[in-house]
Formats: sequence, C-alpha cells, structure tokens
Amino acid sequence: MNLALTEEQEFVRRTFATLFAKEADPARVRAAEPLGHDPGLWAHMIATGALGVGVPEDAGGGGGGVLELALIAEEAGRRVAPVPVAEPAAAARLLAACGATKLLSDALDGTRIVSLATRPGPVASQFLTDGGIADVVVALEGDRIVAVNRPPDVRPTSNMGGLPLARWSGAVEVEVLVDGDEARRWFSAAMDEVRILRAAALVGLAGEAIEIGAAYARQREAFGVPIGTYQAVAHPLADALVAKDGAQLLTWKACWALGEDLPGASALASMAFVFAAETAYAAAQHSLHIHGGYGFTVECDIQLYYRRAKAWVTAFADPERELDAVADRAYGQSRTHRRSAQPHAVPGTS
Amino acid sequence: MDFHEPSHLKGIRAEAEAFAAEHVTAEMVEEELRTGDGVSRSLLRAMGAKGWVASMWPPEEGGAGLDPFETAAMLGAIRAVGGPTVGPGTTMLSANAIRALGSPALRARILPGVAAGETLICLGYTEPEGGSDVFACKTRSVRDGDEWVINGQKMFTTFAHRADYCFLLTRSDPESRGPHGLTMFLVPMGTPGIEIQAVRTMGYERTNIVFYNDVRVSDDLRVGEPEQGLHVMRAALEAEQNVAPSSRTSQLYEAAVAWARQTPDPDGATMLDDPSVRRRLARMAIDAEVADLLGYRVAFLEQLGAKPGPHAALFGPETYVRWSKEVMDMVGPAGTADWTDPDAVLGGTFEYHFRCSVASTIYGGSSEVLRSLIAEQLLGLPRSRPKS
Repeated sequence: MNLALTEEQEFVRRTFATLFAKEADPARVRAAEPLGHDPGLWAHMIATGALGVGVPEDAGGGGGGVLELALIAEEAGRRVAPVPVAEPAAAARLLAACGATKLLSDALDGTRIVSLATRPGPVASQFLTDGGIADVVVALEGDRIVAVNRPPDVRPTSNMGGLPLARWSGAVEVEVLVDGDEARRWFSAAMDEVRILRAAALVGLAGEAIEIGAAYARQREAFGVPIGTYQAVAHPLADALVAKDGAQLLTWKACWALGEDLPGASALASMAFVFAAETAYAAAQHSLHIHGGYGFTVECDIQLYYRRAKAWVTAFADPERELDAVADRAYGQSRTHRRSAQPHAVPGTS
Repeated sequence: MDFHEPSHLKGIRAEAEAFAAEHVTAEMVEEELRTGDGVSRSLLRAMGAKGWVASMWPPEEGGAGLDPFETAAMLGAIRAVGGPTVGPGTTMLSANAIRALGSPALRARILPGVAAGETLICLGYTEPEGGSDVFACKTRSVRDGDEWVINGQKMFTTFAHRADYCFLLTRSDPESRGPHGLTMFLVPMGTPGIEIQAVRTMGYERTNIVFYNDVRVSDDLRVGEPEQGLHVMRAALEAEQNVAPSSRTSQLYEAAVAWARQTPDPDGATMLDDPSVRRRLARMAIDAEVADLLGYRVAFLEQLGAKPGPHAALFGPETYVRWSKEVMDMVGPAGTADWTDPDAVLGGTFEYHFRCSVASTIYGGSSEVLRSLIAEQLLGLPRSRPKS
C-alpha cells in the first residue's frame, strides 16, 4: 500500500499544472468557445510530449502509464483547458498496441490529430467528441479496429461544453489497423483508459470549482458576515471536497489496476467515471449556486465549469447506463435481461 | 502507487481469524446481540494476552507493536464474526491520552491492566444538554485537600455498568466557559455516589446515563494538569479517528451481493440478474470502494505521521445510512425480520444495519461537526459556531 506519487509523477503534475495555469487562463478558455480548441495550447501540448507520455519508449513515447496521463488530464480539467486530452492520449496508446507506426508518429509530432470514436454505433452516426478538429478517428467496427479519415465539409457543432464536437457523415476512407481477436480487447482497453482520463479531468474540474466557490464564500458578505459562515453554504462544499478526494483515489486505483492487469480494473474504470461525473456536477452546481445571480452571468468563471461538468460526461456516456457496465464487469452479464451490446461496454466482463 | 493490501497483513489476519474462531463463541455473539454491552471480559482478556488491546503499543508495554493497517485487519477479523470490540476500542481512546499526558504513577497504575485486557475505561464526555458541544460541560469538580468532589451527570456512557473507570470531563473553574477551566479524571466506577441507569437504543446497543453525587476522587487520578482538560481531550479525540478497518458501507455491500446471489427471482434466475438490483448494487459498490479508499488513506497518512482530515469519518457513515435504507427497499419485507426470527435473511443482518447505521453519523463527531471542520480547516471558510 503506497498512495503517494513518485518524484517523477509529481514532476509531471507540476509541469502541466504550470503549463495550463499559464496557457489556459479563463480568457483563453472563453476565446476558444464554442469550438473548444486552442491551437496554440495544442502546439504546447505536442511540444511537451504530453500525448506520448503513455506510449512505450520504443514506440517513440515517454514510457509512462495511465496514471501519468491521468495527472495531465486532472491538471487540464482544473483549468478547463480548451484542448482534448483523454481520447487523443488513449488513441496514441492504442496505435502503439496496433503497431500503426506512421499514424502514431504523425499523432505524436502533431502532423495529424488522432482521436477515438467512443459512442456506440458506426462512426457516421456519432457525435465525435473531437470530430471538429481531428484528422483521423480510430473506431471499432465489428471485429476490426479501423482508422477513419476526416471527410470534407465537416461542420463543427456549436455546443454548451466548449467541445470540438462534430458529426462525420459520409466518412468512407477507412484503413484497417487490426482485424481479429485482439481488436475488441484492445479497443475495450482504450475505452477504459478514456473512462479513467475523463474521470481524472472531472476530478480536476471539481477541485477548481470547489476552490472558486470557497474563495467567493470567504469574501462575499451577506447579512453582515461572509457567506461561508453559513453552514448551508459551507457544508455542501465540504461534502464536495470529500467526494473529490474520493474520486481522485478511485481514479488512481483504476490506473493502478489497469497497469497491473488486474481482473477488477475495468469495473474500477467504470466506477471512477460514474463517481467523478456525479462529484464534478455536484461541486460545480453548488459553487455556481452560492455565487447567487453573479454565478449565472457569463463574466463569472464558475459557469465555464458548470457547463463542462455535464458536457464532458455526456460526450462519453450516460452514467446511469454506465452502472450497467459496472454490474456486468463485477457480477457478469444478467442471464435474464440482456441489452444490445455497446462497443464501449463490452467485452470487459469478468 | 500501490493499492495492494500490504503483504504483511495476511499473517496477522490469519492469526486473528484463528483467534476469533477459538474465542468468539456463538454464545458470546448471542449475548452481545441480547445485551448490547459491547463488552466480553473473556474476549478482552484473550486479546490482552496477545497484546491486541493496546495493539499499537510496543511489547514491553503490553502491546503487540502493530501498525495501523495490522490493527485494522486484526479488529476487522474479530468484528466480522460478531466479536464485541467496543470495550477495548473505547478504552484505548482514554488509555492513549493517559499514556501521553498522565503522571508516571498513574501510567504505572492503569496502563498495564489496560494492555492485559483486565481494565475497561468508559468515556464521560457528553451531558444531557451537551450533545455535540462537548465543551458545554456542567459536571463540577471541586478540590478538597488531596481529593476532588464531583457532581453532575453524563449521557451516553456506553458500558459504564461493565467498566472499571470512567474517563470523566469536569469543570473545575466555575467562572469558566467552553473549552477552558476543564479537568479530566479517571474515576473508579465503584466509588460511592455513582448511579448508573440503562438507556436502551434502537440499534441493539445499551448505553447509560450516569449520575455523580458527591463522588470523591483522589488527586492521584487526575489526568493532566488542573484546568488543562482541553489538552487531554485533544489527545484522546485525535486517537478516535485511528480505528479505520474496512468501512461498514462495504460490509453491508458484501452482504447485499451475497443476498442477491442466493435469492431466486420470479424469472427463475437470481436477484443478481435483475436490472434494478444490478444498478443499485453498482452504485453501492462505488460508495463502498470510495469509503474503503478514504479509510485506507487515513491509515496510510497516519503511518507517515501526517494528519488525515475527517473525510472517511464523514463519507463512511453518510453512505452507510443511505445504503442501509436502499437495501431495505431492495430486499423487501424479509429483510425486516430481526435476528431472533428463524426466517431472518442472513441472520437479520439488514435489519441490524438499518437500526444501527443511523447512529453512526452522530457519535464520534456528528456529520455537521465534521463538515464544519473540513470547511474551516481545509477550505479556509469562517467559523460558523459562536466563539466561547
């Protein structure tokens, strides 16, 4: 039992905390809306090698694991940084597993943005989380992992979460990366990494939402005292802090279990996603609420967090359905109530 | 980062399981359910013989030199089969304070008996009008030569009727208010003037109200300096967080999964195949995992000498209450049968949890007190309670 980060991991955390504090301040976050992508910040990310942190060294990466990526995602979440982290980082690890060396090196050096199609169903039917900016999305089609090139005339979807969402109707140019037994297993592993990295980003988002709320509650006065004096204001912030620390531990445990290849790893990834989703929303909602009417104005930073606390979850999965994935993975599939298989919910049953 | 249970726990857990199999008898478990005393003298002595009462003290002081993880594993194994551990657990709160701040003579007189499992110490903090505000203490102590004379009453003194001493909070400065002017004593429970009345609880526990009428206590039994009771209580309160085995939320979760696996559903499968049961259990699994992780973090940080916040003490009981209620809904009327009924599900465990859980967000620091601590100490928010 050791719950401490190593010196190297602390270094990764500090490095990206500094980067995002400087390059993803609220003005930059607002400027990137509604498409949700800051090319300058993305270039910084590429230059630091962030995307390749989780890629083996012999494949041109940093040789780290999912935990190192989770630390980066958490720091990005803290600043609601307008760059994609979860899907491109998981895609890079998947490309390395598939041996797709050209696509991987293009992704790592920034030549092409490579993301994942994480929703159930064919690529053409999905709102792709990074569809507005990606050059390639990697998808599972049947028993094949395929790379799909961006079609012409993609129209980015203006959205509340500052995400580069888009549909790719008419995407046809497909390269098969893996065909066979490994395809589902590897893609499922990549989906688990997305769950974990989305959870980590939501942990960071929750932490800053709590901090914004606490800072306001310390200085704003009502009825002659700072509003943080009132327990109805303070106590939900305390609950949020406890839940945020719990979500971080759960996310880290999922990273560790994935790295150790433990049978419970997939269930933990789903659990981390659900718990972080609920935690981030509750933190952002209460923090916005205690700002009173100001929290509702666009000038107030907390509204940036409130919208993303929901949109970052919805982009990946309905947490209620994700509970079914937790159950399938922890207890095996129900023998009497089978659901239609979802690409991101199978086959990680144990 | 490593979430593996420390490997050395296997040994102590196996040892505690074998110990529990030998010493925690069916009669003992039933007597505990019937009386709710939280105490078995024979179990206490057997634990003392192994150094497991003062388990974290060094062997030369009668302990076993266990670390917080080992202690949690050892106590967890004994509790898992229904062995009563409230007595030794509570005794150690005051024993740790006496060890830290008692006079050499008092330490020599009391602590060997505690470690040996011969001496039980109950806690006399809360008063009928005090509750969470422990410093609203009205019980008076007045010095009279080499003795003190104590008058007052204490509420919720669990196992007072089985204890050898009470670790008693008194007010010795009549002009003082709040946390000042308090003095701690170790009062022998056989002293004339002490009257104990049983208070039965909904959760199968017996507690007591204790009256102190002109109770005379030797100055030798004072703990810490006069009017420095706050200092002594802090030493004991800090130890209260120490007891962090697996959360009760996760124990309840394990029982709920066992129920779902073994209970047929109308479709001929089991309740574990039912969609609403599955989602409930999945949600519960998440809260149980988080409650356990926060508890592990307490043990981990204590081992490093760092101070963990009261996260686990808040999240564990809050989720325990929530899930004890959800499980009732899920299991249905069979779950409401109590342990005395032969038809009770899993020995009446869900009925037991439902009854007990609701007190867990009250004792050991109510959820409101813990949230205020977090708000003030970790979020820098202003104090919500009036200063005394």
